[in-house]
Amino acid sequence: MDAVKVDHCSFSYDGETDIIRDASFSIPKGSYTTIIGHNGSGKSTIAKLLIGLLEARTGEITILGQKLDETTVYDIRSHVGIVFQNPDNQFIGSTVADDIAFGLENHCVPQEEMQARIEEAAQKVGMLDFLETEPTKLSGGQKQRVAIAGILAMSPDIIIFDESTSMLDPQGKKSINDQIKKLHDEKNITVISITHDMEEVAQSQNVIVLQEGNVKMSGTPMEIFKHEEELKKMQLDIPFALKFSNALQKEGVFDHGICTLEGVVDELCRLKQTN
Amino acid sequence: MDPRAKIMIMLFLMIAIFIPAGIWGYVLIGLFILIALKLSKLSLSFALRSIKPMIFMMAFLLLINIFVIKTGTPWIQWGWFSVYSDAIYQTLYIVVRLMMMIIITTILTATTKPLDLTLGIEKLLHPFEKIGLPAHIIAMMISIALRFIPTLIEETQRIMNAQASRGVDLENGSMKEKVMAILALIVPLFVSAFDRADQLANAMEARGYDPQKPRTRYKVLKMTGIDYAGMLLSFLILVSCIYISVRGIS
Repeated sequence: MDAVKVDHCSFSYDGETDIIRDASFSIPKGSYTTIIGHNGSGKSTIAKLLIGLLEARTGEITILGQKLDETTVYDIRSHVGIVFQNPDNQFIGSTVADDIAFGLENHCVPQEEMQARIEEAAQKVGMLDFLETEPTKLSGGQKQRVAIAGILAMSPDIIIFDESTSMLDPQGKKSINDQIKKLHDEKNITVISITHDMEEVAQSQNVIVLQEGNVKMSGTPMEIFKHEEELKKMQLDIPFALKFSNALQKEGVFDHGICTLEGVVDELCRLKQTN
Repeated sequence: MDPRAKIMIMLFLMIAIFIPAGIWGYVLIGLFILIALKLSKLSLSFALRSIKPMIFMMAFLLLINIFVIKTGTPWIQWGWFSVYSDAIYQTLYIVVRLMMMIIITTILTATTKPLDLTLGIEKLLHPFEKIGLPAHIIAMMISIALRFIPTLIEETQRIMNAQASRGVDLENGSMKEKVMAILALIVPLFVSAFDRADQLANAMEARGYDPQKPRTRYKVLKMTGIDYAGMLLSFLILVSCIYISVRGIS
């Protein structure tokens, strides 16, 4: 079953120019999908449509087999979590524990269950020692981890990351990216990540490229990165590791392209041993 | 202690202070305050320090009263000018009331986290929800306001720095120039605050918040023996103050 199915959706903020134009795509359950596109291509709008913050003008969105409309949106929100860009503006509680509890409170989870679920979620993101800490004393990366914990406490099936790492320093970015990958690998959660970070795209399974509100390309990272020229036209780049491996391929060292840094290192080590 | 009990005790004592029960009423309330200070492990000097900003106002009050109140027995004669006993008594009366009120509120705020206070207020207002008072919405607004105070202070600092680097001078210049400079601070601050509010609303909604729907609460309040004892004692003080003021002490 598809986790998300978007069928000929259009959306506009002002009723005149469509931000999303007749977009159709589907995201299989349990996959790790990244959505890329230059600024104004409608990436964040797609995220808001999927969680029901915005309503599509035409077309249909189906989440986990359930059609998204006014009657199902609350139920769907208990299965789908979203982590936004700005770590400060999504921290609702006064302490870490309160913030993780917020979603549970909204969905009327009995009070007796909460403590255990909060601790479990905090532990998964490595924030168990900070439960009583106030948000001002946390770094951006820690706040984003709390935001993830708040969603994990709801045991969701799908988590959407809307440029969640773009306001973080490199260290915070790496910790969140590792966290996302871990969630996908261990919990079998469907991850949809909207990103500018090509290194993150390389670690995903599927890529959807948006241009002017429409799906321009989709496929595995390697398939997408083959269209380097077209990506450049959309102000997108390919990961450094792939550039490096392409250069090596030109020199005849590699016989295929590799898009992650770990992959390049492994391949080089393998070649060194065989020679 | 339960914040609900603390708020109720404060309420009882405040009313008691306003009842003209003479010296014995104040002795009762004063004793209660001393016990509360002792139990909350706050020092008397801490409580007295909270009164410091009031000293100027109290002195002003004394001055006015000396000039205005001309009843009772004259104590000091100084040419045409005399200080009457009632002036001193009146001032002492008001000063003692003010001091007690400030100390009580200081004890409350020093021993209670703002969030607990909010929760206490919400629970206390809960019965009024039946007549359409949205207690939990008020509590949510207060707690979000409290949560964003440090964030907005940080933002203000950032905008001040940004404007300073563009040549806006917030400290020097005439009154008019200062007002114009502050405008350069307020406008971006408001823009960003609205932007934050929008994103926060999205985040809350995405996590299933609906003010019209029932929610469970993570933090629960539990009254214990000391809460009941405190409320009972302060209520007794209130009743005896009323009794004294109506019937007199004998």
